[in-house]
Amino acid sequence: MTDDALATTNSSTQHETLHIRHIVKQYDNADKPVLNDVSFDVPAGQVFVILGPSGSGKSTLLRTIAGLEPIQGGDITIGDEVLRTSGKKKDIEKANAANTSNTSGSKAAKGDTNPVKVGMVFQSYDLFPNKTVLGNIMLAPVLVQKRKKDEVKAEAIKLLERVGLADRQDAWPHELSGGQRQRVAICRALIEHPQIMLFDEVTAALDPEMVREVLDVIVELADSGQTMLIVTHEMAFARAVADHIILLEDGGIVEESDDAEQFFTHPQSERAQQFLNTFTYSRERQ
Amino acid sequence: MHGAEILLQPGVFPRLLQGLWVTIWIAGVSVLLSLPVGLVVGWLMTLRNPIVRFIMRVYLDFIRIMPQLALLFIAFYGFARAFNWNLDATGACVLVFVLWGGAELGDLVRGALESIPRTQYESAQVLGLNSWQTFSRVILPQALRRLLPASVNLITRIVKTTSLAALLGVIEVIKVGQQIIDANRFQYPDATLWIYGVIFFMYFFVCWPLSIVARRLEKRWAHD
Repeated sequence: MTDDALATTNSSTQHETLHIRHIVKQYDNADKPVLNDVSFDVPAGQVFVILGPSGSGKSTLLRTIAGLEPIQGGDITIGDEVLRTSGKKKDIEKANAANTSNTSGSKAAKGDTNPVKVGMVFQSYDLFPNKTVLGNIMLAPVLVQKRKKDEVKAEAIKLLERVGLADRQDAWPHELSGGQRQRVAICRALIEHPQIMLFDEVTAALDPEMVREVLDVIVELADSGQTMLIVTHEMAFARAVADHIILLEDGGIVEESDDAEQFFTHPQSERAQQFLNTFTYSRERQ
Repeated sequence: MHGAEILLQPGVFPRLLQGLWVTIWIAGVSVLLSLPVGLVVGWLMTLRNPIVRFIMRVYLDFIRIMPQLALLFIAFYGFARAFNWNLDATGACVLVFVLWGGAELGDLVRGALESIPRTQYESAQVLGLNSWQTFSRVILPQALRRLLPASVNLITRIVKTTSLAALLGVIEVIKVGQQIIDANRFQYPDATLWIYGVIFFMYFFVCWPLSIVARRLEKRWAHD
């Protein structure tokens, strides 16, 4: 980690803990909540991997943190600053007005203006097809964070070098493979220096031989001290990268572990054993 | 072959070109005014508000079901007279074509906007773009690409439909042709084929480049 382009932890604001407190997410027409009173803390620099069967609410959890899903209970804060809450937007602004003296407090409260707190990479290749690789990466820092084009471009190129795509900076998304697109999507999120990076099954839609190039980038990012929440079905990857593992089922935390090795070799709960067993396949040959 | 000579008569060709200019003018102004109308209508159609949706639905269906000629007659003989609007035939044509073009284009815009995947909105939102930035920098550019081929086809339809203006007494290219034929009925009794033949090619050379452009764009943007 010699290159400072990915060293996103050097800023003083980025040593705050992400608090998830009693999150409840329920859709209007559903009989039970997707997330039911989920709480945990993510200290800065930690990599949390969230596992669970499909429908357990793990993607929804990331989406609530990203602000894509309103929550019906609980709140999400970074340090003292409220990022999301079940209350009205005004309440967030009021709460943060007490913490931040500057006038941009109300803007930051929405969690979607400068500075950007949360970056997210999705499962689908969601680059903007009407922009080149550089155009995709440079759009938000210039438009949202009002940074200088030259500086943004220089950092964009550094980031692309880091993920091995420097030669594709002028390519269009449709000219890239799925793995390349995901690496660009990671750069696009990183350039805003988010405190938290969210990865929502980023390799699930990829051809198997492209999974590795994306996971390598994420592992490197973990080594650089980036705080991350990762939802994945790649168990070997989870084992390799996680500082902390959370097993979700039916919208609740079933098991948590600070020791990835131990979680995978000696899971405490029966449910965790069951879940892990679904990833191994063995058969007695006649 | 005698009828062909009418084309060489002094004044015949320039008059046809004048008529063609009127055709192009009506079509051009209508298209230019239809663009903003269509964009707004298309955007309104994507809104969740049931009242707005209903109004837009009625507007679109009404315009589509009514023959354009009936719309022209309503606008020119009906409304303009009934409410004493100072609306000449050309104005009535532009009004109807803008209402029609705006509705049709609006439906194309709606389709294009709705075809943009949700994740495009979500990625933009997570990156911190506000709704206007998302719309103008991410969604609209993509929608326009999907929209362009179909809207070029719509423009050629508008050009062709301007021929109905003749029935309101607008001296556009078809009307000019009729006048020339009538005036030379005895001198060149078989001029009809030749005059309409020339008009045919005039329409063709106006619309043909448009369809070439549409095809090119379709090919170039196919991968998006």
